[in-house]
Amino acid sequence: MTVASRSPSRVDRRIALGLFALTFLVLFFTEAPVGFVRDESVYFAAADAMARWLHLVVQSPARAFTDATLSQALDFNHEHPMLMKTLFALSSILFHDTLHWMRPAAAYRVPAFAVAALIPALLHLFGSTLYSRKVGLFAAVSFYAVPRQFFDAHLACFDVPIAAFWLLTVYTFWRAQTDRKYWLYCGLSFGLAVATKHNGFFLPFVLCPFALYRAEQVTRKRPAARGLAFAFVGLYAAVATLFAVLVLTWGPSGFVEHFAIISPQTALGLALASGTVWLLLRLHQEDEATFRSLAPLGAMALLGPVIFYAHWPYLWPHPAERIAWYFNFHATHVHYAWLYLGTLLRQPPFPLEYVFVKTALTVPLSLLIPMALGLIAVLIRGAVALLPRPSTALPLPSQSEVLIAVNALASILVISHPQVPHFGGVKHWFPSMCFLALLGGQSVVRALDAALVRWPHFTALGRGWGFTSGVMGVILLPAVLQTAHVHPYGTSSYSELAGGIPGAASLGMQRQFWSNNVTGVLPYINEHARPQARVWLHEVAGLSFRDYQVNGMLRGDLIPVGGPEQADIAAYQYHQEFREQEMNIWQAFGTTRPVYGLYLDQTPQVMVYQRP
Amino acid sequence: MPSLDKPLATSPSRASGSGPWLRAELALLVFAALACLAFQLTLPLKEPTDEDYRRVAELLAREARAGDVVFLFPWWTERARLFLPAGLPVVGYLHDEADPLTAYPRIWLLSAPELPRNGNAALARLFMPERVADGALQRFGALTLSRYRNGRSRPKLFSAVEAVARAHVYLEGADGVRTDCAFNGRWHECPGGLRVGAEWHELLFEPRLCLYMRPPGGSTRLVAEFPEVPVASDLLLEGGIIWEHAPKTDVTPLEVGVDEVRTLNSIVTLSVPGGLEGMRHVNASAALGSHALKLWTRSVRPDAREACVDLTSFAATGAAP
Repeated sequence: MTVASRSPSRVDRRIALGLFALTFLVLFFTEAPVGFVRDESVYFAAADAMARWLHLVVQSPARAFTDATLSQALDFNHEHPMLMKTLFALSSILFHDTLHWMRPAAAYRVPAFAVAALIPALLHLFGSTLYSRKVGLFAAVSFYAVPRQFFDAHLACFDVPIAAFWLLTVYTFWRAQTDRKYWLYCGLSFGLAVATKHNGFFLPFVLCPFALYRAEQVTRKRPAARGLAFAFVGLYAAVATLFAVLVLTWGPSGFVEHFAIISPQTALGLALASGTVWLLLRLHQEDEATFRSLAPLGAMALLGPVIFYAHWPYLWPHPAERIAWYFNFHATHVHYAWLYLGTLLRQPPFPLEYVFVKTALTVPLSLLIPMALGLIAVLIRGAVALLPRPSTALPLPSQSEVLIAVNALASILVISHPQVPHFGGVKHWFPSMCFLALLGGQSVVRALDAALVRWPHFTALGRGWGFTSGVMGVILLPAVLQTAHVHPYGTSSYSELAGGIPGAASLGMQRQFWSNNVTGVLPYINEHARPQARVWLHEVAGLSFRDYQVNGMLRGDLIPVGGPEQADIAAYQYHQEFREQEMNIWQAFGTTRPVYGLYLDQTPQVMVYQRP
Repeated sequence: MPSLDKPLATSPSRASGSGPWLRAELALLVFAALACLAFQLTLPLKEPTDEDYRRVAELLAREARAGDVVFLFPWWTERARLFLPAGLPVVGYLHDEADPLTAYPRIWLLSAPELPRNGNAALARLFMPERVADGALQRFGALTLSRYRNGRSRPKLFSAVEAVARAHVYLEGADGVRTDCAFNGRWHECPGGLRVGAEWHELLFEPRLCLYMRPPGGSTRLVAEFPEVPVASDLLLEGGIIWEHAPKTDVTPLEVGVDEVRTLNSIVTLSVPGGLEGMRHVNASAALGSHALKLWTRSVRPDAREACVDLTSFAATGAAP
């Protein structure tokens, strides 16, 4: 079967490049006031550890690769893979240590900007090819018109990068159905995803049904290819079954303990790898369409684990134990208290609707409506298509549209599970937001096109682009205004549906996440604290305190202390779950009256108390 | 089932739906965007300014008197604390509408009524009963200030929190053996790192000045003995667990009680089981007159039993506030 290439046009590739550059520049020039969330300073420190190890690799390679050195040098923050932290380290070495072009925080963040800038570019490439150029542009611009996404894109963290690599993997998977080499890019992209954050490991479960469905469709009249496709599926089913038998026989810990170079597990892995390669080679010779259906899965299965292991030196000496620890850490992650509609969520089960409600209350309403309409339209058409006698009035959704819709829901549904930790605002389902942006763009343009058909005189305005861009501008403007208004305090942002930040406060929603808003009171502290004053910045980790000083945002003579009892000045971050700590300040300072504060649309975010 | 993709010359965005529906969709999108724009542009006009707060503060500095409290509405509008006169109590916490504000005969309701989702219904249902307007509502820009007589206030004759400096504090074993705790001007310091003092703590969102009395464990009681507690009406015993310790369930109950020193009779007790958040309240009666009373806490295992307690004696009904 010959299918047209899904390659975007040269114009769209240039637009994507422009979007990438523009996004990078906007992020770069708006990063200075963005505070360091608790995690970010940890990642700065982990990048420093990686940088030290890289120096050691150059200076003393024999010592750098010993078990003891790897274990000691890269032990810090080994709950997350190293891809982004390695990039932060290299960027810091280049832009700060060597070239002295920027302050340390900006240097760490540059790779995050670059990866974040992939999202608008990819959304345009995806949207312009699948739908139209207008859809691609709207989706690209709208993604960072969501305040929380714009904020997170500034951070040297992993939530926006995993969204970018998730989107890249789905895009390359989609391209792989029609374009040569993209099956390989899909495997590589999946490797980058799992080397960024553990969310990436869900990708095969999302993409596998599409690959198998397509393989089933294209092999109906090709018995030889169909046999190979069945063999491919059988290989994976057999290896998975045998792995399950080993786990059941030995138990999870025994399975890890028995993992060695010569072991049943290794043999199974090798059998899977060699079987995959052999079957894909046969398929490539037998039938290109079937090969393109299944090759992305094979590439993901082979390259994902290899990249995951190879990029993370900490895993090298003890791969089985450390990978097992990694998965166990995330499977048993602690729960943090989290305010939701006036109730502090402390332990599971969490409300099933939480993710949907939180999304509705944080995504600007003018963007949320088209996203919802776009998703609902595909779901309705998909449901109708499943009826015994589908309606002819509604076109069946294409596989591509279903792929978009499923990815729009995948991360949201995973986090919606009542036992999954629910802290962290909305960042854990950013991958879904990419695809919702596409659906939103599709909804807007679908309606605009209908209007142009009904009122063709609008097309006189720049061949329809004048009308289109005007309406798109109206839809995007409130979101852009909201994003600009709340920057750099994006984790405090709430949509018009919530009643904005004050409405969300009245609803009893989490005020902020997590300690970066302290930048709003640092100028006051710098001005009013006496020399060598002891300062308690509530919820600001020791590493972050140091980073604020290193980056010139907090006076260097100020001394961090661990609580209000020792402090001359205290800044309390308003979290309902930490209110006791504000009482501790009242108690220690003998006053209930702050001297200063960061108030966003009247809502207390950070209050400064000074010992009388 | 979904079809295989056709060559993508035909845009799916043009291929689905019918014209009138899509034009209605466009109208909805544009209307929603304009409404959002109006919201974004008008929100600052609904927010109080510093000048609004200063004018309120000036009025309160002139007219507020001892026993008054400022009640914030919505509850989270604590920016007011920056401006209001020092010494004037301010109450504002999540779910505070039902707070009886027993200690305050007069309430100044400081409201920012134009703020979105301000929950007027809860205020009317939970705050207004037994409160009588005492003067006209005054407007200060985006703020309103109105004064109420609080029908739920009760004049106090005694509060353990206020009298703690005069208390005799000790640990009391099951055999009656006592170990005294020394008062350092701020707390009574007891063996084992225990202390008794008036402290601010959070109980189910409520900031509360109470007696911190973490029990020692086992059958030993931590006792604050008050030599003269006037009783003219009823006593109110309150006890709860502070902050994040309250929701824990793998704990033993906190027991709080009041005994008559002379007769050793128990007047009232309450129990705070694991998982119970907020302050428990129990009213009790005692013979009229002055009593020496023991306020005590006990828990078999003291882990996470961060106790916050108070004992109040009220004036007879009808007494002047």
